[in-house]
Amino acid sequence: MPDSSSTITMPEYDLVVIGSGPAGATTARFAAANGARVLLVDKKQELGAPIQCSGAVSHNALEQAGVYPSPEFIHDAIYGFAIYNGKGEKKIIDYRKLKPDEYGTKEGTIPLGYVVDRRRFDRYLATQAERAGAEIWLKTAATGFRVMENGSCEVDLLKFNEPVTIRAKVIVGADGVQSQVGKWAGLKTHIKLSELASCLQFVVDGVETAGLLEIVTGNEWAPGGYAWVFPKGHGYAEIGLGVTRTMCTENAQEYLDRFIKQSFFKERFKNCRILEIQGGGVPLAAPLKIQYADNIVLVGDAARHVNSITGGGIHTALSSGKIAGEFLAQLILSGKPATKTNLKGYQDNWLKAMGNNMWKLYRVKRAIFDTVDVVKRDEQLYATMSGYFSTDSEYKKI
Amino acid sequence: MKTKEAVVFKIAWNACIKCGACVAVCPQEAGFTSEFDTIAEHAACDIACMFCETVCPVSAITHKMLAAEVE
Repeated sequence: MPDSSSTITMPEYDLVVIGSGPAGATTARFAAANGARVLLVDKKQELGAPIQCSGAVSHNALEQAGVYPSPEFIHDAIYGFAIYNGKGEKKIIDYRKLKPDEYGTKEGTIPLGYVVDRRRFDRYLATQAERAGAEIWLKTAATGFRVMENGSCEVDLLKFNEPVTIRAKVIVGADGVQSQVGKWAGLKTHIKLSELASCLQFVVDGVETAGLLEIVTGNEWAPGGYAWVFPKGHGYAEIGLGVTRTMCTENAQEYLDRFIKQSFFKERFKNCRILEIQGGGVPLAAPLKIQYADNIVLVGDAARHVNSITGGGIHTALSSGKIAGEFLAQLILSGKPATKTNLKGYQDNWLKAMGNNMWKLYRVKRAIFDTVDVVKRDEQLYATMSGYFSTDSEYKKI
Repeated sequence: MKTKEAVVFKIAWNACIKCGACVAVCPQEAGFTSEFDTIAEHAACDIACMFCETVCPVSAITHKMLAAEVE
């Protein structure tokens, strides 16, 4: 076959989004809806799998991103929280009782949030992107890129093991906690060992739940993180935890085993049967100081857009995706080149909408986990978690 | 736990849950990865910080010294 790379017309897009999780699919959707030509690629054959997430997201987060809470992806509805300290003392924050006119099951009220099925949720978001006009290629990995003289890029992809090169003005790195796109751009994306929560969860049968996200704090059960019991719908539950490895003597698996067999929940968990095993790395880190480079922006976990107190990343991913998608479409349609200087606007918009608050949360988290005295640290985490989810929390919108 | 010499990692695929945590803490340049969202297997790592081994929720990563592998 003759070398025809220079003669064949390459597929051309304004934007190529690498990774179709909540951040990538939302970026693709809003960019396409605002007139950009978008290619969304993901190396997986099934989006959302293997699951690396508990799936908790607020109603408000979905609404802000224009995602209708569809039964297609909702496992269970959430109406509040139960926060425990290490001894099992608890504070219940049930919005069905605190704000009965707004939250609940009766007509005219809504759930506070949901636990979603990430396989169906991610596919749903990709469908929304596709219906807004984005093209989607699955089984497509990005392997590298070159900046061309005209300021555009050539991006090398491997699609069903066939090399394909496309042209795009901007590359969006939405490739998750293990982001490689950020590294391509020379951004320092690797997370400190002390700032990545090592998480493991089991989907179980035989554990009762009551519409609340249950959060168990305390160094004894989950050093540098917390353990959780979330409703998973149809009688199932999630039992999991995240730990900061530098504060631990063993791996997450050992801590989870101990939490199930030895904690104040041991009777409740006695008959639990494990149906799925899921894990993830959750950045409890500061957002990247610089989330853009020439021709590249990062969104979602790749940019460390994770709430450092809760470890939640769906809301922040949807939100940064919307901001990035709208910003990039506008930049491209204005005809301005995708230089670092011009792409800075994305980060500025993000800081204003949510980033500054995320920095604030990171500082709160640091202050807690930097406390050397374990008793004081446990007290602080319990108080902070209880305050965070209360009706008068200043962070309600994250 | 930090070693001074280059190491080669091995992944226990039967234990690995493909969570990506090892890659997230890896200070290597882009591309020090496997096909399954883990750090590279059978490749020399001269940083040898062992963060990947430490962070793994299920302890699926082990290493050998590169020198021992070459022999």
